[in-house]
Amino acid sequence: MDVRSQAASPFGAIKIVECGEGIPAAFGAKMIADLGAEVIKVEPPGGDLTRRRGPFPGDTVDPEKSGIFIYLNANKRGVVADLKRPEGRELLGRLLAGADILIHNVAPGERAAQGLDSAALRAAYPKLIVAAISPFGETGPYANWRGYELTVANASGWATLSPGASPYPDLPPLKCFGSQCEFQGGIHAAMVALAAYMHRLKSGQGQSIDVSEQEVVAAMLEMNFMHWSYAHRETSRLGSRLLGPWFISDTADGKIFALAVEEDQWKRLVELMGNPEWANDELFKDRIARGQNQDALKALMGEWLSQWKTQELYREAQGRRVPFAPVNTMRDLYESDHLAQREFFAALEQPGIGAMRLPGMPSKYGATPWALRRPAPRLAEHAEEIFCGELGVTRERLNELRKTGVA
Amino acid sequence: MANLPLSGIRVLDFTWAWAGPFCTMQLAHLGAEVIRVETTARPACVTRLIPPFADDIPGPNRAGYFNQYNQGKRSITLNLTRPEAIDLACQMVRQCDIVADNFAAGVMDKLGLGYDKLRAIKPDIIMISMSGYGQTGPYKGFVGYGPPASAASGMFFTTGYEGGDPGEIGISYPDPNAGIFGAFALMAALTHRALTGEGQYIDQSQFETALALMPEGMLEYELNHREPGRHGNHDPVMAPHECYKAAGDDEQWVSIAVGGDDEWRALCRVMGQPELAADPRFKTAAARKQNESALDEIVTAWTRGRDRWETARALQAAGVAAFPAMSNKDLSEDPHLNERGYFAMLEHPEVGKRQHAGVPWKMSATPCAVRSPAPVRGADTEAVLKSMLGLTLDQIEHLRKSGVLV
Repeated sequence: MDVRSQAASPFGAIKIVECGEGIPAAFGAKMIADLGAEVIKVEPPGGDLTRRRGPFPGDTVDPEKSGIFIYLNANKRGVVADLKRPEGRELLGRLLAGADILIHNVAPGERAAQGLDSAALRAAYPKLIVAAISPFGETGPYANWRGYELTVANASGWATLSPGASPYPDLPPLKCFGSQCEFQGGIHAAMVALAAYMHRLKSGQGQSIDVSEQEVVAAMLEMNFMHWSYAHRETSRLGSRLLGPWFISDTADGKIFALAVEEDQWKRLVELMGNPEWANDELFKDRIARGQNQDALKALMGEWLSQWKTQELYREAQGRRVPFAPVNTMRDLYESDHLAQREFFAALEQPGIGAMRLPGMPSKYGATPWALRRPAPRLAEHAEEIFCGELGVTRERLNELRKTGVA
Repeated sequence: MANLPLSGIRVLDFTWAWAGPFCTMQLAHLGAEVIRVETTARPACVTRLIPPFADDIPGPNRAGYFNQYNQGKRSITLNLTRPEAIDLACQMVRQCDIVADNFAAGVMDKLGLGYDKLRAIKPDIIMISMSGYGQTGPYKGFVGYGPPASAASGMFFTTGYEGGDPGEIGISYPDPNAGIFGAFALMAALTHRALTGEGQYIDQSQFETALALMPEGMLEYELNHREPGRHGNHDPVMAPHECYKAAGDDEQWVSIAVGGDDEWRALCRVMGQPELAADPRFKTAAARKQNESALDEIVTAWTRGRDRWETARALQAAGVAAFPAMSNKDLSEDPHLNERGYFAMLEHPEVGKRQHAGVPWKMSATPCAVRSPAPVRGADTEAVLKSMLGLTLDQIEHLRKSGVLV
């Protein structure tokens, strides 16, 4: 690990409170926590829903061993407060009094009841930055509509485009693996929250931020939206590729993504293939033609591709600046020499699990120290430390709150 | 205008294609002055060259791709193959806060615009290089685009219909993702500078920013030495969780996702089959997950004869997450997005008023908006050279004639 990552971080000055269950707010707060900010995660009694989603070692559901929970919440301290009850909201108030940023993804319709109404928070804490994430934003006709990852993948227009150039009209629009829309809600909120923090450094003024997952993902659809607004064409997952080769094919030991974007890349690919006769055919004369005749192209290239091992072909093609890529498995990633040399994986000692390697620093900072400094919190692990040690709640009161299920 | 979070921040933007411009557009949204450096001397920015063009009439200022992701920026032309142009760029860096590029690793150094040189000119400069694989490591010279990054990051391997092959994911997702991670990293670096006075260099790999989004799959392997598999639209825990056929053609679908028992009972009620809620096959979340295929058949039988919006509205009214699969036209006409003021439609000198995705967040104290349409190529060359470097019109004309400003 980089020596600088052990140094004190200027982000240690930033105090963040996070609430709402699941991925969006947790990911946004993680982005800043990993740079050194102090994050307190507020969970509902019973714990965050990601504690029940895994992946779990040995598939045994254990709220202290969920892979996704650990990834999202290492570097944070954790407390429980039932925000649906006034005693829980009183605890939240104490937390917010010392906070710079609140990041949450409580649904707009449930905010007022949990003490999280944006306007009320602005009035009560004029210096606080409130970054609130929701599927559809906090205003407009769908503000109170319910949305999960799948919902937003469809509402944003992404699913309609996937899988690209699909030959299966009877199969549905397809969401991407994982929780992409929720991650995007989180990182957009984190970015804007830091912008608001800088504004506060200059002006002393806090504010609230309304992030809609539907909107952030709809802004990421490449040129698909403009096909409508510029040329009045409706896009679809069905149809053909704009250019070719652009396909996934079998190799001797896996799969490769075969791609050539520029004509010079295609020329070097043809050389690598040993200049086969068919490459001169009219059908493949330029990238547009190769896109239209992709099935024929794939059949002709398929035999050659199938003789290679994936990683060897990858290196060989890239050595000629042909932008192939392996269809990597998770194992391939953990065994990647490139990622190992760049020290991408971050080691964490998580109680109950032991040593684990997590996806690490996504952008390598020359000066800001990025580090996993502490494991993900056990449920309510830091209640006494924070409520009693830092916020003046007596031990008797905390015990009472525990007994009544508030904390 | 002066009251935006990044008011007073100036960005010299060498990015091209999509990932980089998506990054710097966020900065423009937040109030920064973003000066795009373009050239016609080398292969031009691809997003100016590929369709869709306004009304299908090609032209570098008519491309939707460019005009969407460069909103709010200025454009100057500098022929970076000429030493005079590099000198001009260096003089501009002295008055900038951020330099951004997404060239292949090492290109900025070769151009004479590497971090060490720029730092000597402007000690607290913040620089980000967003390459395919990063500036170090055995693959640093590899060619990166978004779709191969989807393959390399495992997104293809883990996405696909149940029992089917690895699937493509519809968009070149790792590109805008690298852009937004880059924008976050720049915001972190600006915060760092505001707190300490110190600038820094950020080496960002598109590959690694995509991996930040793969924890569920990667940790399945790390914890259980097993690949996560492909499960279509299904969820590891929730069921029903699928995009179901609606009445109409191949493009009419409605997604339904049921999180808890309350939502399940509500779905049964809306489907007019309240007795299903008590059916032992579906009574608990675990049972629903186990009998997911049977459940999907029951739900499809209900959705396939109904309009997708009718289904979505009826379910949402009962608290069930449902939404049609939206096309670009659907998004354009969506009453919710329109009421929220999502779309930016500013007068562009060549394509007029077109609908673009605008700023996807709202700030109460510093309201952001797209402040100008994407620039016509080179529109600001003269103004920028005059105001930033104090060049005279004669000097600019001379540089233009000698091929430095193309």
